[in-house]
Amino acid sequence: MTTPTAHIASIGTALPGDPVDNAALAKVLGVNEEWIEVFIGTKTRHFARDLGTGTVRWSLADLCAQAAQKALAAPAVDPAAIEFIVLGTATPDTLMPATVNQVADQLGLDQVPTFQLQSGCAGAIQALSVGQTMIASGQYRTGLVIGGDVCSKHLDVQRDLSDAAPSDLVNFVLFGDGAGAAVLTAEPAGERVALRHVLNRFTGLGSKPGQVIEWFGLADRYDDRQALTEDYKAIEERVPVMAVEILWELLGELDWEADELDYLLPPQLSGRMTRRITEELGVPTAEEISCVADTGNNGNALPFLQIEKLLGRMGDGHKALAVAVESSKWIKAGFALEKI
Amino acid sequence: MTDSSTAVLSLDDFVSLVRDEIGLEIEPEQVAVDFDELPDWDSLYLLKLVTALELATGRKVAVGKVLEARSLKEIHDVAVGG
Repeated sequence: MTTPTAHIASIGTALPGDPVDNAALAKVLGVNEEWIEVFIGTKTRHFARDLGTGTVRWSLADLCAQAAQKALAAPAVDPAAIEFIVLGTATPDTLMPATVNQVADQLGLDQVPTFQLQSGCAGAIQALSVGQTMIASGQYRTGLVIGGDVCSKHLDVQRDLSDAAPSDLVNFVLFGDGAGAAVLTAEPAGERVALRHVLNRFTGLGSKPGQVIEWFGLADRYDDRQALTEDYKAIEERVPVMAVEILWELLGELDWEADELDYLLPPQLSGRMTRRITEELGVPTAEEISCVADTGNNGNALPFLQIEKLLGRMGDGHKALAVAVESSKWIKAGFALEKI
Repeated sequence: MTDSSTAVLSLDDFVSLVRDEIGLEIEPEQVAVDFDELPDWDSLYLLKLVTALELATGRKVAVGKVLEARSLKEIHDVAVGG
């Protein structure tokens, strides 16, 4: 059964500072530049933290507010019409207040329900799902959906990484920072892109997490636990398979044929993994819309960066399908868009 | 890196390096085994291994060729002069 339609009226994104290339990153991390280039396949990323000094230049709330301001500045959008805000992130600035409320404050929005989803790579889609459900309820007509991450919170430029485990080190070459936002409306407006279907499903029963991000409090802050752990081997094995399953499930739900797709937004793990997954998805007639090779994997910002790129190309009647996998606890996610 | 700084890395030394640097407990007879038959192998180990090999041999390692290798022996061949 397809989900009731909401519409994307506008989109905005924010990437902090200048792009950081592999030469600069390799120097800071003390790793092989060619390895990042060839094995990860990501060329540049952006960091909210200054790579030289470690100083925080932008908070997650700053980036989310910047992205939202761009979405709200679109001609067809009235910021006063925003009736709810949903934010998906894995890296909130603080546990309380929830970052979504700091974003509302920066945007000058008040007296609206706000929600924050603690989420990894599927979070932007979970936020879209919540937004769509709220609009479909008939209680709300316009809302703001945001996704963002500041992965560089764990990029300690003073740390000696020479003894770091590969499952630790790989995080620093994969990830980046950024945010994106979309204004959702009940009726077509602005970009007039219908959100035809959203998939968000936990499928990790009994499975070991593929990605773990610890958090530390006063009582355990000196624990020797690895802050970030990525089971790259499991991700390499499972994500392409799950991505193909998601594609066909979404097409089935929508009653769309694969060759009807004009655009495909594949999972954005890294430049190399995304290339491989796109090949396995096997929809050569659809144009691939990817950003990770230039933006790095900035988690919850990725689908918005892809949608922004897509909107510049989409013509009337064009169909697009997005696939995402959150490997933390193996969540299948995706959505379908149609320009009307 | 100059030629004078390069060093020969025997296959046995390479096996020791693999054990020390990435903690993979392999026996010398497993060095030519396909990665599919080495359940504990993780392609992520290459990050550590490339850096360690460059330090041990004093030569730059061709990462693209290392990624194509199907066994540790093939990686050794690339690193020592392939």
